[in-house]
Amino acid sequence: MDTLLQVLLDGMLNGMLYALVAVGLCLIWGVMDVINFAHGEYVMISMYVTYWLGFLANVDPLISMFAGGLFIFILGALTYRLIIKYTIGKPPLSALLATFGLAMLLKNLCLNQFTPNYRILSDTWLGDRTFQLGAIIVPVPQLVTAALALVVIGLVFFMVRSTRFGWAVQATAMDKEAAELMGINTERIYLLVFGIGGATVGIAGGVMPTYLAVHPEVGTMFSLIAFICVAMGGFGSIPGALVAALLVGIVEALAGYYIAPVFKYVAVFGLYLALVLLRPKGIFGW
Amino acid sequence: MFKSRMKFWIVAAVAVALMLGAAPGQSLAQSQEKVIKIGTIFPLTGPVALAGQRCKAAVETAVDILNNKNPKIKVPLADKKGWLEGYKFVLVHTDSQGKPDVGKAEAERLINQEGVWAIIGAYNSSVSMPASLVAERAKKIFMCGASSSAALTQRKEMKYFFRTASTDEVESQEFVDVLQWLNKTQKNANIKTLGIIYENSVFGKNASQQAMKAAAAGKLQVVADVPFNPGATNLDSEVQTLKSKNPDALFGAVLGADYALMVKTMKKMNWVPKVSLNYCSGYQDPVISKQLGADADFFMGSTGYSPEFASMMPAVAEVEKIFKSKTGGVPYDSDSIQETIAMLVLAQAIEKAKSLDPTKVAETLHANTWPSPLSLSGKVAFVPGGQNKYALSIVTQLQGGKYKKVFPTDKADTKPVFPMKPWDKR
Repeated sequence: MDTLLQVLLDGMLNGMLYALVAVGLCLIWGVMDVINFAHGEYVMISMYVTYWLGFLANVDPLISMFAGGLFIFILGALTYRLIIKYTIGKPPLSALLATFGLAMLLKNLCLNQFTPNYRILSDTWLGDRTFQLGAIIVPVPQLVTAALALVVIGLVFFMVRSTRFGWAVQATAMDKEAAELMGINTERIYLLVFGIGGATVGIAGGVMPTYLAVHPEVGTMFSLIAFICVAMGGFGSIPGALVAALLVGIVEALAGYYIAPVFKYVAVFGLYLALVLLRPKGIFGW
Repeated sequence: MFKSRMKFWIVAAVAVALMLGAAPGQSLAQSQEKVIKIGTIFPLTGPVALAGQRCKAAVETAVDILNNKNPKIKVPLADKKGWLEGYKFVLVHTDSQGKPDVGKAEAERLINQEGVWAIIGAYNSSVSMPASLVAERAKKIFMCGASSSAALTQRKEMKYFFRTASTDEVESQEFVDVLQWLNKTQKNANIKTLGIIYENSVFGKNASQQAMKAAAAGKLQVVADVPFNPGATNLDSEVQTLKSKNPDALFGAVLGADYALMVKTMKKMNWVPKVSLNYCSGYQDPVISKQLGADADFFMGSTGYSPEFASMMPAVAEVEKIFKSKTGGVPYDSDSIQETIAMLVLAQAIEKAKSLDPTKVAETLHANTWPSPLSLSGKVAFVPGGQNKYALSIVTQLQGGKYKKVFPTDKADTKPVFPMKPWDKR
């Protein structure tokens, strides 16, 4: 029983991290119908921002993650302004290929500048702290990440649902031309959505160096899992992405422990395939 | 046509420069240059790019030595005398990304389009396997430095494939010897069960097969067989599985950042076995102790070279200076040094054969024992299938960030810390 609870806890904590990474992708897709292939590279770059701030200026990731968020906000806004803007209204594949190219560019830029060396930030506030609840070990950095994920996802959800800006975002997502006729500056909405989507993943990447090594390939698998979470949750649904990410984390942990570790991603992708076949619009899709 | 005189002269100058560039005299001079093109295939990007970049730097180091006179360097041909004088080795680098299909395609491109004379590579056993078959079909020599899968040199029909490093078969046997030695010499060691964690690739699978074989021969019970996907976001299930089975000993075939993640996850789950032995992998990475600090300590593994071995291999120092200039100060590790050795041995064989006929050079490689001051044994000789029969490694343990030699006892400089210290007692 203790083992089952431990596995479930690990799965849920990993799921919350996936949710934090996925929420930005979900927002961008929901509003703009653009799949940002460079999402994993945003994670990676934010990790580097935090790492270098920690290594050079001794700033803890719990603080520097906001710098990571800000950096990726700017990177996201620039991505929109310099790349995505020119693909709007073109075949959907053009935005996909453009962000794929951006992903390659960012990854190779980091490979060139920072070498493939993996880097680990030591002596962070959270460090490798754990505490025990009975026989269950609770890792503090992952727990803090999960709490952070809840706060960030909650704020994004609140922003979209309950603010004037959020209503404008929803209006733009529903009908861009009608929104423009109502006086909404859709260009600005797109720019900010890409920036905010980037900022959320920037915060996720910012906190990750507390417990994960930083290297140019680190974002690849996160990007794939984030895509699956968004697709399973229903493209554009923030609660959907959260539920799907938790599901992915739990399935991954259960399959990895009770079937075979090598089977964990098979189970995740199998679940994704099954869900897409049974409910193509995702859990909360409409 | 030209709006200004200046524009006309610019266009004319460019045209003249282009014509001069395409002049037959120059291309003739180039073609007459004595050049031996060597292709390299390494994972320059992807999850093990760090190791690949170092392997590339290692081959470049060897070529620097061979192409220039280096009287200070005490390795064969560093003085640049003999039949090869006047020849220059030119490297054509390719990136396998650690993927077998990409590596195979690059081998085909190197041979068919670049026209290389031989290939060195490919670090990942899973890439070396298909890429070496491409070279074999084309009758081109394939020098393999660091791929450790025993299956590579079990292909006795291969005539052009040569590997300088030790294999996971030899390492597995060595690891079981270590466990038996610990059982004999350490109080209450009682090592009876074994867990194996390995990446789900040709390298990892072969290592695990060899580990199982050696464990069966050494009467050890394998209680946990844990493959994982390289580049995974976490290794929670993997380490949880190990923890629940709690083997006395753990063998690991885990590369690069995955190794760091494994160690951190073991710490998170507050579990260590009595002893952990690692194949040529993340354990050997010279930056591991810097990155993981004290967490890296007390793990063990086979090591063909580390800076702590310098006194046993005095020739390495001068060569390593060149290598470090290419890696930003990072020294050789067990894998990268093998790529330098492979290139130097290949050059010696060409020199001895006095020919650029690959078949003749391959026969020469098989027929001789080659002095190799960068190898632990000091020499290299190949048996049918291409394995270096003198490949040696020493089992080390990281203690205070240093690779301490612990086995075999005649080469040991310290006693192992056994059992591994629990995480809360470090």
